[in-house]
Amino acid sequence: MVTLTHFLILSFILFSIGVAGVLLRRSIIIVLMSLELIFNSVNISLAAFSYYLQTLNGTVLVVFNITVAAAEVAIGLAILVNVYRSRKSINVEELNDMRY
Amino acid sequence: MEQIFFYIFSILAIISAVMVVSVRNAVHSAFYLIVCFLQVAAIFILLRAPFLAAVQVFVYVGAVMVLFLFAVMVLDIGKEQFKEHLHTQAIPAIVTVIALFATMGYLVSQGRITVPLGKFTEEALSKNTEVIGKSLFTQYIFPFEVVSLLLLIALVGAIVLVLKEKKGKQA
Amino acid sequence: AIIIMIVNIFYRKHEVNAVLAISGLLLAFMTTAGLFGSVPGRTANLLTIDSYALFFMGLFFAATLAITALSYGYNKTHEGSHEAFYILLLIAVLGSAVLAASSHFVSFFLGLEMLSISLYALIAYRRGERSNEAGIKYLVLAGLSSSFLLFGMALVYAQTGTMEFSEIASVSSASQVRSLAMSSGVLLIIVGAGFKLALVPFHMWTPDVYEGSPAPISAFVATVSKGAVFALILRFFTLIDIQADGRFFLVFTIIAVASMFTGNLLALYQNNIKRVLAYSSIAHLGYLLVAFLSNGALAITAVSFYLTAYFITIIGAFGVITVLSRADEEREFLDQYRGLAQTHPLLSGVFTAMLLSFAGIPLTAGFIGKFYLVSAGVNSALWLLIFSLVVNSAISIFYYLRIIAALYEAVPEKMIEIPLPLAGTIAISALMLMLMCLGIYPSQLIRLIQITAATLG
Repeated sequence: MVTLTHFLILSFILFSIGVAGVLLRRSIIIVLMSLELIFNSVNISLAAFSYYLQTLNGTVLVVFNITVAAAEVAIGLAILVNVYRSRKSINVEELNDMRY
Repeated sequence: MEQIFFYIFSILAIISAVMVVSVRNAVHSAFYLIVCFLQVAAIFILLRAPFLAAVQVFVYVGAVMVLFLFAVMVLDIGKEQFKEHLHTQAIPAIVTVIALFATMGYLVSQGRITVPLGKFTEEALSKNTEVIGKSLFTQYIFPFEVVSLLLLIALVGAIVLVLKEKKGKQA
Repeated sequence: AIIIMIVNIFYRKHEVNAVLAISGLLLAFMTTAGLFGSVPGRTANLLTIDSYALFFMGLFFAATLAITALSYGYNKTHEGSHEAFYILLLIAVLGSAVLAASSHFVSFFLGLEMLSISLYALIAYRRGERSNEAGIKYLVLAGLSSSFLLFGMALVYAQTGTMEFSEIASVSSASQVRSLAMSSGVLLIIVGAGFKLALVPFHMWTPDVYEGSPAPISAFVATVSKGAVFALILRFFTLIDIQADGRFFLVFTIIAVASMFTGNLLALYQNNIKRVLAYSSIAHLGYLLVAFLSNGALAITAVSFYLTAYFITIIGAFGVITVLSRADEEREFLDQYRGLAQTHPLLSGVFTAMLLSFAGIPLTAGFIGKFYLVSAGVNSALWLLIFSLVVNSAISIFYYLRIIAALYEAVPEKMIEIPLPLAGTIAISALMLMLMCLGIYPSQLIRLIQITAATLG
């Protein structure tokens, strides 16, 4: 029988891959994509908990989480368009002219 | 039997996730992301949450990926050369990722769940959509309204950011 | 109360200019004040509208009222009508109100997301490269932190099987054994919330976002978004008594001490006013944690009073910057403020009062706030924290005085005359008055807070 820990291991692996993507990649598009990946992995663990606990509020949170993540992508890409217009490239590198 | 399905889906999901992060061309990684989302939807079905799987496919694969592909196409983000693949402070980033992986692994290996069985029996969950619908509109009516407001802001925010730029241009 | 607010905000959303936004806020403020005494109602066990929540809601509305007044003048200089600006601002306030009242993970998560998504757009509102950069940075980091938060919630949900704060408290206190998953879940929630409060390990984004975003928005970020999350943590952790569990107590103490020191030390050699305010806000969060850690009713009064004083001072300080700066060029650097005393005596007077209250000099609300903090800390014997609090206030006095000194220096040659937007100046002078009266005569506010503390305590 597929136990809960299987799902948890899966969601942890995806979570770490997503975080790695956010931290390591250069272009913001990929960073936003790996951010989506992280949201998905959290969804998996929430759904798994809600299934094994036989209660529903886990799934409800997943539904809300999906909509919120979609809204976030929309805003993220809008800002990305602005950044691209003003700077012709979207590498994380250049985004540091606000010196410490 | 179910075990096999689970393993197929999870391995595919992990591979596609790794590809999303590592592949150079943005368009390729977008496609891998779609594959990964589909695997996640399949896993939701395994978890007897068909409604979730359907929502996942529609919202994520449908809308989010289209947005990404749209952004990648419009902004014609070319293939990056391999050398500037990882940006300068790669080393500390890798260290944090490994640390995160270790803590996660430790947490999972501890094992954890005391499973108090809730009131939904096995078959109740099967007609999951209707149950979710009911609870969404009874117990969680307020956040439902809040979410609609939230989507509205995303709309307003995105339009404001992009539209104003055009006006700025002519002036 | 929530329904009135939603109707309120929804109705206002279609107004074009700020005047109606301000009147709408006034209306919302009155409704919260009116409902203050009412018996605490619960909307589908998601939100508990007790006087604690109402107090914070009133506080957020007042803060946004001042910010809208400030931004009115600020936006006039920028072409184009800004109804979208006010819509986003109002919805962000609604998000913070939901957060202040929430007692359930779902409403916690949604309130937080509503707040942060409207903030993403607001931060990137100005076209400049820097504000886009601030927007992107804030978006990515906030996304990451909310996923941590969700993970924490999932773990706690797994353990206790419920998403209700009160039920979680009962379950966790019942099962004395704090299983690993439960504590790691709560730890992840602290990580997520820590980011929003810009406590030390997660404060990297603060200076860039403060500098990048338009001045009224950074005031909003500093006050309402932090205040809302803090109100929620206060509610969450008073229910789940953190005193008992040594580990969390230790985690919080380290964060508090670290944020106090980093905030102050980093602010020492900044020349950009906004960055100085950013770092000092980190330090102030550290002070707030001191009161937060000292449990008991006094702690809640100390925290709420200090939060109000902190709100007034930060909005005042940013108000001065907004009034002086046009939408296109922000007067951020210290030398731009040299000799302000000669050209705008009123403004520099207000700025000095704000800075003094930051440092906690008597006669200002800041002093009373700090006094409460120390007394709350003393009676629960947190000597280390008190010591670091005192040391840090000493350090902070230094860099506040440095700015004040710059204000009163000789006027440099090309001090251009800037017309002061009326709305902004009224708002600042009103804030100044509030600051003074709170400093000298705080007792009625204290009584008000005592009632709120009673409901939660």
